[in-house]
Amino acid sequence: MVAETWSKQVQTSSLTFDDQGTELKRRRQRALEQFEQHRFPGRKHEEWRYTPLSRLAAGPCAPLLESSQEIPFCPDLPGDMLAKVVIVNGEFRADLSDLSRLPSAIRVQSLAQLRHSDPDQLASLLDLYWTQDSHPFHDLSDALLDDGVHIEVVEEGAKIDAPIHILHVLDGQARAGSAHVTGLIQLAAGAQLQLVEEIRSVGEVLGNLRWGVGLDPRSILKRVRAFRPECASIYHGTRVVQQQDSRFEDLFCSSGGELIRNELHVSHEGTGCHCDLLGAYAGRGKNHLDHHTTIDHKVEDCTSKEIYRGVLSDQARGVFSGMIHVHPDAQRTDAKQSNDTILLSEGAEADTRPRLEIYADDVKCTHGATIGALDEDAIFYLRSRGVSPDEARKILVRAFTSVVFHGLEDRQLSDFIADEIQQSIDPQGTDHE
Amino acid sequence: MSGKKENSMLEIHGLCASVEGTEILRGIDLEVKAGEVHAIMGPNGSGKSTLANVLAGREEYLVDAGTVQYNGIDLLELSAEERACEGIFLAFQYPVSIPGISNAYFLRSALNAIRRYREESEIDAVDFLELVRSRMDLVGMDEKLLHRSVNDGFSGGEKKRNEILQMAVLDPTLAILDETDSGLDIDALRIVAEGVNKLRKQERAIIVVTHYQRLLDYIVPDQVHVLSEGKIVRSGDKSLALELEKEGYSWLQADDARAGNNA
Repeated sequence: MVAETWSKQVQTSSLTFDDQGTELKRRRQRALEQFEQHRFPGRKHEEWRYTPLSRLAAGPCAPLLESSQEIPFCPDLPGDMLAKVVIVNGEFRADLSDLSRLPSAIRVQSLAQLRHSDPDQLASLLDLYWTQDSHPFHDLSDALLDDGVHIEVVEEGAKIDAPIHILHVLDGQARAGSAHVTGLIQLAAGAQLQLVEEIRSVGEVLGNLRWGVGLDPRSILKRVRAFRPECASIYHGTRVVQQQDSRFEDLFCSSGGELIRNELHVSHEGTGCHCDLLGAYAGRGKNHLDHHTTIDHKVEDCTSKEIYRGVLSDQARGVFSGMIHVHPDAQRTDAKQSNDTILLSEGAEADTRPRLEIYADDVKCTHGATIGALDEDAIFYLRSRGVSPDEARKILVRAFTSVVFHGLEDRQLSDFIADEIQQSIDPQGTDHE
Repeated sequence: MSGKKENSMLEIHGLCASVEGTEILRGIDLEVKAGEVHAIMGPNGSGKSTLANVLAGREEYLVDAGTVQYNGIDLLELSAEERACEGIFLAFQYPVSIPGISNAYFLRSALNAIRRYREESEIDAVDFLELVRSRMDLVGMDEKLLHRSVNDGFSGGEKKRNEILQMAVLDPTLAILDETDSGLDIDALRIVAEGVNKLRKQERAIIVVTHYQRLLDYIVPDQVHVLSEGKIVRSGDKSLALELEKEGYSWLQADDARAGNNA
């Protein structure tokens, strides 16, 4: 019944776009039909087994297409940023963004702009990353495609030193609803770019965000994602297509979130590619934090490193499902994966599923998963030096997650994120033995 | 064990303790004065480490009877962290490694926790580094270890030296060294012992728990106590340790057998 409300709502909203006769419209139509047919998959669907999408089906769905005039909080992320892109409820807000210092090597424009000027080109860009396979969130994104951002480093070899800050504001204060954002990133050969993506929310909102990332040979994209969603539910999906000798580094950090589904799909299309997928997350209350990653090693001599670490208290639940797919031609692949979780209370739960499919014979693939409590000996060690049990636990949580931030050069940013994660673990709310 | 009580730092009377229902300490009496070094010796399983851990406040060890006065306060009423803040320091037999936290961060957190307890202002990063560097010289420790994770990947000698560095920085009133000599070769042992000797002072008492006499060649004790089956069965000066070295602990069993027959 509730899902029907979604269907109707999405259909009504989708029809308001006047892109008749374009490829985009056809994409929109197909996505609409697919969503109509499958809606939010239940627990029986393998890919969604651990994700309670029923929570969303019952939640508010009306797309929040018009956005509020002001950001409902003060941005406080530290560090010097080259530019700021502000997207409120899916709408690229030129008035709140600051692109004045961008060098000519890089182009940043709103997706709505591209949608109006060249809908067919936009459709062909979308085709690069999202097939027409049914996926509830991608279908919603296609059906409701309105705005977002298109970032292109067009000059070969351009090295952009300072990061671009992308701030997503999900504002459900006026009314509850959903926001849909599509982002596209393309790096020319040898180009380097850093992004810091932040998500913040007020009120009850479902944020549906997806990114398509194309990395030309030898290019490097470093991305930090800081989710500080308070009460929102978020789908965040990224599809990365890497060409020869390119590098993708992703650091995901999340403090809290009602329901977060973090999906990453990295495809190594050229030899010598590397990707780092790092994640640190903390959940409390009834937070549900779900990480779903796939690395497709399609060709030879590519490497990947994946470390996800979670700290869960109260009744929070963490899910990690990590697929490493080594195709027959991907000889000398070196893939490392680990997922470790600390449970701070008896009610917290973690599910971890490393999945390896290896069809080449000369490969190195390692994976490991642990779920445990904080080390009592380490707590006593700290206490015997004068540190209170609460502070000892905080120090140990910090130690546990810091392994993930190890490579992050910006100390200010990594300290900030560590503090955020720390704060989202309520020391009063955990029961210690 | 009786005598002048006015300047005893630590007074233990009739201390009994158990772990998981097994009685380990069966009536310990011990007095330690400021400025003294006491050695606690004894065979494996005699309760040496238990005594050290009970004094440090480890909760797995249950105190069943007895009293412990430390500088006039009831030590058993205090939590482990309160004891540390009151100036008690336990050098661990097996120092714990904590990947992800640097030695410097660990030490500074500890020092500031103690300073807050004493209502002193926290030490800033610059002053702290200066303090640590001066203490590292004392124990002959490489500054690189300061920035490595706590005891993570440290050799046995580095771990024990790190314990002594912590002692040097935290400046305790009563230091308890639990088998600080175990797992050390003779060079490492000498370096660690020299560090401890430099930390001997009039206001500080040190309890050295050890299985072997050789540590006491370097850290010369004022008194030696022999622990057997949870009791101090003999006390004496440093010559007692030498005697033990010669005869081993077998005479204890003979004594115990006799005690058993008498009972």
